[in-house]
Order: sequence, then C-alpha cells, then structure tokens
Amino acid sequence: MKAPASASLKAPVKFRMPTSENLVPIRLDIEIDGQRYKDAFTWNPNDPDSEVQPFAKRTVKELKLPSGFGGQIQQSIQSQLADFRSYEGQDMYNGEKIVPIKLDLRVNHTVIRDQFLWDLNNFESDPEEFARTLCKDLCIEDPEVGPAIAVAIREQLYEVAVQNVASARENRLSKKGRRGSEHFPASKVSGAALDLMKLFNFRSSVIRKRKDWDYYKPVLDLLSNEDVDVLEAREERSGR
Amino acid sequence: MAAKSPLKEPPTPVPAQSSDTQLKFSSPNPTTPPVKPEISPTTAANSTPAATPRPSLLHPSPDAGVVHVPSYSRWFSWENIDECEIRFLPEFFDSRSPSKNPRVYKYYRNSIIKQFRENPARKITFTEVRKTLVGDVLSVRRVFDFLEMWGLINYSTSPATRPLSWEDSKEGKSSGDGASLESSAHAHAHAHAQAQPKETVRKLCSGCKSVCSIACFACDKYDLTLCARCYVRGNYRVGVSNADFRRVEISEEIKTDWTEKDTLQLLEAIMHNGDDWKRVAQHVGGRSEKDCITHFIKLPFGEEFVGYPDSNDGEYGSESNKRMRLTPLADASNPIMAQAAFLSAIAGEGIAEAAARAAVATLFEEENRGSKWNDRSLCRNAKQEVDAASNGETNQDTLEKVNEDANAVIEKEEQDMERKISGIIQVQMKEIQDKILRFEEFDLQMEKEWHQIERMKSLLFADQLNLLFHKSAVLRTKDRIEENGKTDVAQ
Repeated sequence: MKAPASASLKAPVKFRMPTSENLVPIRLDIEIDGQRYKDAFTWNPNDPDSEVQPFAKRTVKELKLPSGFGGQIQQSIQSQLADFRSYEGQDMYNGEKIVPIKLDLRVNHTVIRDQFLWDLNNFESDPEEFARTLCKDLCIEDPEVGPAIAVAIREQLYEVAVQNVASARENRLSKKGRRGSEHFPASKVSGAALDLMKLFNFRSSVIRKRKDWDYYKPVLDLLSNEDVDVLEAREERSGR
Repeated sequence: MAAKSPLKEPPTPVPAQSSDTQLKFSSPNPTTPPVKPEISPTTAANSTPAATPRPSLLHPSPDAGVVHVPSYSRWFSWENIDECEIRFLPEFFDSRSPSKNPRVYKYYRNSIIKQFRENPARKITFTEVRKTLVGDVLSVRRVFDFLEMWGLINYSTSPATRPLSWEDSKEGKSSGDGASLESSAHAHAHAHAQAQPKETVRKLCSGCKSVCSIACFACDKYDLTLCARCYVRGNYRVGVSNADFRRVEISEEIKTDWTEKDTLQLLEAIMHNGDDWKRVAQHVGGRSEKDCITHFIKLPFGEEFVGYPDSNDGEYGSESNKRMRLTPLADASNPIMAQAAFLSAIAGEGIAEAAARAAVATLFEEENRGSKWNDRSLCRNAKQEVDAASNGETNQDTLEKVNEDANAVIEKEEQDMERKISGIIQVQMKEIQDKILRFEEFDLQMEKEWHQIERMKSLLFADQLNLLFHKSAVLRTKDRIEENGKTDVAQ
C-alpha cells in the first residue's frame, strides 16, 4: 500500500498550541451553595503562576461572588495550567492535519453555530483574530461572543494537539521501524483529520458541494429572554 | 523642579481653571486649560504621577456627557499611541509575539475606554472588560491597569472612588512593574534627578515582570531579561534554551556607584550614628546596610589608624577607630565587636590585624561574586578567621602559604598572557611580510609592462619613419615621372 503523499513525515515537534500565541483555554464551572459560576477565557502560560491568585481574587471581588469561590477558581485554573504544562515537554506528532472546527455556543442572547476547517500545521494561526473578524462580519453586538468563540476554537485545537501527543507516544512505543511509521499517518491519526488528497485530487474539485454549503456557514440566532431562560434551565438540568 | 510643585501643594481649589481636562466623548485632543505654566509641558505632566496620582484639583460635580481625565493623561488620543504607553506596556510593541502588536493594543485600549465611557459614573470592573475582549486575560488586565492608573478609566472626581494611589497599589507585580517603569519615566522626563531616592535602571524580568534584585539572566539572542526565579523555572519563551542565557550580576557597581557625595554622607552618618547601620543607611539615601558597611570597610582607612594600641581589629574594627578610642572590652553592646575585641586582646595585635585584612579581602572577593549565600558563608569564614587568629603561628603559616599560592597563580597567568601576546605579534608580522611580498610582485609586473610599452613606442616610431621615407620616395618618383613626361613631350 502506497503511503499517501500527503503524509509527509515531519519530525515531531515539541508540544504547544498550534496557534501563533501559546495560550491555554481555561474553562471554569464552579458551583457553591447553589450559585453557579461559569466562565471561559484564555491564559498565557508564560505568565507567572503567582498571577493566578490575584486574578481569582479580583474576579471574585468584581463579580461579588462569595469568597469561597476564590480558592476554587484558583485551584481550577492552576490544575488546568498544570495539565497543559504536563504536555509541554513532550513531542507532538505533526502530520498534515486539516481538522474541522465546530462552534455551537450560546452566549447571553446570541447563539452561533458554525463549522470550518482549520490547519493544524499553521502555527501562525490566531483564533483571537478569527473570532474578532467573525464577530465584526456578522455584526454581532454582544461583545462577549468574541472571546467565547476564541476559547471554543482553542479548546478544540488543544484537544487535537493532545491527541497528537498521544499518537506520537504510541508511535514511539510501537517501534515498527521506519517504513511502518510512514503508514501511521493514514491509519493511526485520529479520524477527525481529513485526508486532503481525497478532497483535492483531480477527480473532485476544490469547490464544495452544494449540499455541504449549509453546514459550513455560520448561523446566528438572537434569542429572546424567554428562550434564554428555557435554554438555561435545560442546560442546568442536563449538566447536573 | 517646577513640575513637581502643583502636585505636592495641597489641592487649591481653582474651579474655573481646573487642571482636569474636560473631554467630550469623541474629541481626542484636550484643550489646554488656562492653568499655571508648570503643568503645560506634557513631559512634566507625564512625570507627575511619581508623586501621587492625585489630580491637583477637585471638580465639584461631574457633568453628564463630559468625561474628566486628569491632566497627566493629556496625551491620550484615540488614534495615536503615545510613548508612555510604549514604555509601560512594551509587550505590545516589541514584536516579540506575533499577535501582540500595536493594533491589538489599540483595540484593547479603545474598547476598554469606550466601555467605560458608556457609563462614566460607574466604575468598570476588569472582569466585565475581560469578558468582552478577545485575547489573553493577563495582557488585557495589564492594559486595564495601565488605563486605570492613568485615570483614563474609572476616574471619577469624588475622592472616595479615586483610583489607587501608588502607595496603595503595591500588591501584584504590575505595580512593581509600574513603579520601576515610572522611575525610568522619571529619568526620561527629567534629566536631573529628583530629590527622591535614586531610581536607577533596574532590571525588569520579562518573565514575571518583577524587579530583578539578586541576579539576572540576560539572553542577548532574544533580548530577554529574566530574574533568577524565572530562569530556574524555565519560565521563558519556547525556543530559547538554557545555554542562551548569561548571568548578569547586580553588583554594587551596576546598581549604584559610590560618588563622592555618597561617601561623604556615609562618613557623616557614621560619625553621628556609629554602629547604628540602619540609620546610616537611611542617611546615605537608598543604600542597604550591607552596602554601606562594605563600602566603608573598603575605604582606605586602615593605615591611618594602625597606630592605635587599644583599637579593635576585628572585622568592623576600622569603624570603631573612627568612632573613638575603645579599650578592648569596652563595646560589649555589639556582640561581634566584643568577641573581636576579646580575641584580639588575646591573640595579639599583629595577628588579629592580619586576620582582619584577610577577612576583608575575602569579603571583597565574595562581594564581586555577589550571591547572598556566599555572604553568609563568608561571615562564617570571617568568623573562622578570627577564631584562627587565636592560634598564633599556624595562622601565619597558612597566610604565607596562601600568599605564595596566589603569587604562583599570578605568575602563571602573566606568563600565559605574554605567550599569547607574542603569538599575536607573530601572526601580525607574518601578515605584514606577506603583504610586502605581494607588493614586490606587483612592482615587478609593473616594470615589465613598462618595458613593453617602451618597446612598442620605439616600434611605432620606426613605423612612422618608414612611412615618411616612403612618402618622400613616392614624391620623388612622381616628380621624375613628371619630368620625364615633360622632356618626352618637349622632344
């Protein structure tokens, strides 16, 4: 079996987020005494860890949360950072990867659904820039949507990167030799990646089929207050 | 300086001519209010926050639709980025990370300010802002803190909600950042030093944005400076390795130089306060006690006071000489002094003096290496030296041996140097000889060519002669033919 030409074997790269800035997506979902605090933002792992506590304190103070939240917030952030750092030293396998990124978020009154392809090898990619442009193009008024989109994109990229680390580790463990490792890209790599060769070979065209158009464009919904309440109640019930 | 005065004065109510700049929502550049002339130069305005960020005046009531901005933030405009912003938030302007560029900074800054101005009566919190901005939260926070500090947001004229003054906002690294950056802003804005303690250029760690005090690691390749903690933790960018860093000591020379004035102050202070190094340090202005002590020891005092028979020659012996003549066991208050006095009394003067000299010498050496734990071991060493002084001869022997070793090392180094220098000289001589050879070759070539040219010239000359001859010959034959023709005709 001929290894597909797209699977050019690159030397494994040190783990990092495949974006221009090595930022970590942090998601917080803390509940104390019936009060729920959900948040998501990006954190720069190069900032010293001593910054976590003042940040947590400030958040608690400004949102007027009960003080029990402070410790939990700090712990959660630190554990997510620690996870990220634990991957940091390791190698990440780096094949040709175009992954679909899906957005399906509700932020206050805005619901956005979108799907697009993202190139994992482009280490210059910038989810923040993408989110900003998306909001501007869709004329989204709620300024909180942008960051939520950026964090969602980052999270998905993070997951894929983590899978890459795992696959790189497997490659190393199962030493099938050089020829074997060339086969890996086709078979072992997570199924989420699309094989570009199949998409873009001479038989099919680069233009997307009409039936896919609806999937790949952003859908924006503005909800009314009642809808928001309904959705929130449903989320809480499912979340418990 | 004139610029300091408006802020240092108690806020005199000058309502109409408030130094608060009144801005409409959209107009970027403030109108200069008719105020005292000290405030007008913007550079002075920039430096005033060093005193306190309090505006010089209070405004009685905030008008709706009018935003107040303190006079020291007059530089702000929507379109432009002022240099003090570049100074305070260098991360956006030094193109170290591709997504932190001035455009992003402007986006953060403008959106934060816009948000605040939608409801200027209310303080805007960082969390609200952070939720709406796309980007990594700590950079947003830094921009937010910067704007708050300069009164561009959350600036309300009632004293209760005034932004934190410098003294209060000492928590967090940003203020440390701000404070030292502020001091370098000082240096920029005013060439002359203020009366405040000297703010020299402090090294800021680019990793944790704190002031490097002990030792710093500079990486020239990427122009980073890290404090010891960040270096050890590996808290630097991807792509920079351990080897790229070199250690830069914050030695006394770099931090502060002992000027004449400082030395004078030091001496005065010592005369007044004797052993109370804390007060001495305060008097000198900005040097730690250790610095004062070490500098004092290094001053060339010892020789003058050798004659004192009862003087103590312990570690800090010279200072006591300066103070007054002490009998050996007199100063029992300072335990080290007492011990030194006791030991020197027992061991005899000469030995104790030698021990003290050695202690000072090692102290000096250790200082140059500059790490704190060395000092502690040094104190131990010094103590040991003093203890050793009580064993008379062995001390002398070890001293001599040490002396010899040192001399040997010095000689070896000198020889090394000489050898190296002679090597260099030889190489250079060879170069010169080569050059001379080449020039000679050139000369030869030139001569040859010259000869050639001469030959060609003579050939040319010969040709010309030939030509002339032929010409004249042709002319003569022509004449003859004509004559013959004439005679023929005549016949």
